[in-house]
Amino acid sequence: MSGPKLARCWFVFAAAVFAAVGCGASASPVAAEDIVRFGAPLPLTGPLAPEGIKQQQGYDLWAEQANKAGGILVGGKKYKVEIVYADYQSNTPRAVQTSEQMITQDNVNFLFGAFGSGAAKAASTVSEKYKVPTIAAAASSSQVYDQGYKYLFGTFTPNDTLTTPLTEIIKSQAPDVKKVAILARNDLFPLAIAQEMEKSAKANGFEVVYFEKYAIGTLDHSATLSQMKSLAPQWIFITGYTNDLLLIRKQMVDQEMKAGVVTMIAGPAYQDFIDTAGESAENITSASWWHPAERYAGKDIFGSTENFVKLFRDKYHSDPDYGQASAALCGALFQLAIERAGSLDRDKVRDELAKLDVVTFFGPVKFGPNGQINSLQPPVFQIQGAKPVVLFPPAIKQGELKLGVN
Amino acid sequence: MTRVNLALLVLIGCVAALPWFGGAYALRLGTIACLYAILALSWNVVGGFAGYPSFATAAFFGFGAYATGVLLGDGLPLPLAILATLVASLLLAGLLGAVLLRLRGHYFAIASLSLVEVLRELVNNATDLTGGGMGLNIPLASGSGILADATFFFYAMWGLLLATALMVIAVSASKLGFGLACIRQNETAANMVGLNCTLYKSIAFGLSAGFVGAAGGLYAAWVHYIDPSDVFDILYSVKPIVMALMGGLGSPLGVVCGAFLYLGLEEVVWRNYIQIHSGVLGVLIVMLLLLLPHGLISLRPGMFRRKAKHV
Amino acid sequence: MLVAQVLVNALVLGCLYACIAIGFSLVWGVLNVINLIHGSFIVLGAYLAWGLYQSLAIPPWYALPVAAPLFFVFGYLLQRLLLNRVIAAPVLVTLTLTFGLDLILNNAMIYFFKADYRKLSLHPSMGSVSLFDVVVPVDRLIATASALALTAVLYLVLRRLRVGRAIVAVRLDRDAAVLMGVDVKSIYAIAFGFGAALAGCAGVLMALIFPISPLTSSTYLGKAFVVCVLGGLGSVSGALAGGLLLALVEGVGSTLIGPAHATTLSFALLIVFLIVRPHGLLGRKGFE
Repeated sequence: MSGPKLARCWFVFAAAVFAAVGCGASASPVAAEDIVRFGAPLPLTGPLAPEGIKQQQGYDLWAEQANKAGGILVGGKKYKVEIVYADYQSNTPRAVQTSEQMITQDNVNFLFGAFGSGAAKAASTVSEKYKVPTIAAAASSSQVYDQGYKYLFGTFTPNDTLTTPLTEIIKSQAPDVKKVAILARNDLFPLAIAQEMEKSAKANGFEVVYFEKYAIGTLDHSATLSQMKSLAPQWIFITGYTNDLLLIRKQMVDQEMKAGVVTMIAGPAYQDFIDTAGESAENITSASWWHPAERYAGKDIFGSTENFVKLFRDKYHSDPDYGQASAALCGALFQLAIERAGSLDRDKVRDELAKLDVVTFFGPVKFGPNGQINSLQPPVFQIQGAKPVVLFPPAIKQGELKLGVN
Repeated sequence: MTRVNLALLVLIGCVAALPWFGGAYALRLGTIACLYAILALSWNVVGGFAGYPSFATAAFFGFGAYATGVLLGDGLPLPLAILATLVASLLLAGLLGAVLLRLRGHYFAIASLSLVEVLRELVNNATDLTGGGMGLNIPLASGSGILADATFFFYAMWGLLLATALMVIAVSASKLGFGLACIRQNETAANMVGLNCTLYKSIAFGLSAGFVGAAGGLYAAWVHYIDPSDVFDILYSVKPIVMALMGGLGSPLGVVCGAFLYLGLEEVVWRNYIQIHSGVLGVLIVMLLLLLPHGLISLRPGMFRRKAKHV
Repeated sequence: MLVAQVLVNALVLGCLYACIAIGFSLVWGVLNVINLIHGSFIVLGAYLAWGLYQSLAIPPWYALPVAAPLFFVFGYLLQRLLLNRVIAAPVLVTLTLTFGLDLILNNAMIYFFKADYRKLSLHPSMGSVSLFDVVVPVDRLIATASALALTAVLYLVLRRLRVGRAIVAVRLDRDAAVLMGVDVKSIYAIAFGFGAALAGCAGVLMALIFPISPLTSSTYLGKAFVVCVLGGLGSVSGALAGGLLLALVEGVGSTLIGPAHATTLSFALLIVFLIVRPHGLLGRKGFE
């Protein structure tokens, strides 16, 4: 054969061998004694990376604490905790594939859910098929839990538990607020919570003058914001992930939009949102599922909320927010369930999870029949002086609502 | 039936034996392999036979996924839903084709690319019907165990692959195929000798979309949850082209081989080099286009060299 | 006044769109290559501006003269070494090739810079100006002015400089240009280099206003596409016309039928133009 042809043949041959070898070789780790393996598919790169990394921090903190105590007690023997991470690059089909790979190739005993309502829902089908108990650390939309699955649990309460107290506070403390404008990211969680907000607002007598969705990845909101401004709402409600909210806030400032109340979900709870937004974060209200100011005496490995916050601060040199706390909670809940079941049998652990009714550092944990937690009272807070100040529930209230966002 | 086409059918037949050799994960890979082969074969009809560089595969894949999803949600049984999706995709593509196929070269490529964007946004905004950005839940079509489920979908996709291959063989042996070859070589001349180019092109476009739509529908039933940015992903348009280029443009056997080889490479890269897997795909594409422009099929000596269509 | 605000928004945005598209239009018009790497060039330019600002506190407008030659060289080499081999190949090959190159570049950026969004926040912030109830942020104004300046520079190069005339000649009639003694291979590389330089500069300007991430490259590319088809290929005025039209349609559409439909509208408009007037508003007929 002639020169170039030979080169081509080698190229193809090499590629085929490469493919065959690669498919044959699997990446399963060496099975060691007394290890319980948890799979954690996360978006470690891609647009949801900031959120994914937070979850990883939470899981790692829990694993470290559990292993420091010798491991999880399983019917008399202590099993070390190992967390298997995989990056699905913020791509939902990859999340599903990764979850399946973790079960079939990496032999994980249990799974942590993928980040966010969309991916968690998609990947939950895999957990259900293989009957692997999965706790989702960051899936709040009730749509995630409406498939009747038995092996999926979630530590975030449904979206309306955020919007209802928020609406009630504004209604009672800001009587001049009549018109609400809602802008939602066209994605599972942001859109679902915006729809809850609309319901809540209408039920409380507010007039919803604007309700629109923006496409994922939108860079320029100037037209939308101009239109919203022209309707002069007193309450502006925006949903999206941290990056979207920062962008929209900047463009709101560009257009000199002012309103009595500005609520953004879900970003203001994070310190990096406050740092990046700077002055423009002042007086923004938000709600989340947990706040470090809470005080619970938990029966889990972390014990009290203060203890969890302290351990987190020692390891990561910053305060935890609800993302990391929820992830650590999932680990702690698995630990409780495994210890109560006395074995690693998936069905037994699943039943223990379903029966759980315990106070933890995160709050009282009890799962409803669809697997979603229904025992929490999520806090409402406002950024005042570059710090989140809790406004609700009354037990941990730190300050009063301040009106006027520039 | 030419020898090449016979070889194609034999290859597909061999693939059917997969369940005897592997478990659930191997079946998953096998299902994806059949899916890729369907996409590549279908694309070949409009891209390889007719010579129109279509980037619309993702548009019909997504359309099929959502059509089936909605129909299954309304209670239609799976085979009926898939069939309805196939027909719907065929008709939609035929109609769109009549309009878009008037463009040539770059402009057709861009128009087909934009089709993906337009359909995706339409689906995104029809929240009541499709769930919009919140995604669509598809009821579990078969409630039995994992292996049974995986085997069922593998054979369903394989069956669709067989149907697509038969369609492609039928087209290549028929007057339609001959007409498409004329269009590819010189459309103006074909027009002048009296060929109804618009009709032929539209039929080709329709046929290429029908099976892609059905495959999309099966994919949706298989994964149970779809959302617009997953199924209307531009990569579903580009990968079939790469597979076709790898295997040899215009040759069905080559295209299917290209699809299988591509899947193998993709799995290897994703398993071991996940951080850079799209970069590796890019390198593969570049090397392919520079070193092997006529695909795998051009390496076969003797009789096949005659059949290799030039790019 | 909402109408006035929407129009001003569109005007400002339109010039930015034109800036994004001008390099793309040049390459497409002259080399007949649809350069899918264009979006990634823009993002790379944005990263350059961001990096210079973070480490050396150089504001973006001084990053422009740094970006332009760097990207020119990058583009020139890319064309000379890789793209030149497929220059005569059908559209499928060139499109797929640039797609593959884009995958490599994009992945490299994600690998080195991570996909997190960065923001170039100027300290102190520049604020906004308002005139008769219409508010325009100052950073956008500066970016728009710079974009217009860039397009003016390109216009002058194409009209006055020898190399610019050669580029126009190749675009009008390649074979005649060869007969006139133009080194077409070299011109192709230079034109591609210009396209890359313009993309890099556009990226520097975008860094002022929009968040920076490799994930935004497809958004920029999509805009460039639509602008080129709407306005016509290869000409500066075409890019401006296309950019303004697109921004206007998006702004008005967003106001009338909601922001969710703005993208659909722009692509639907693209398809309509392709069918009805493929050479765009200001393009020349018969140029495929």
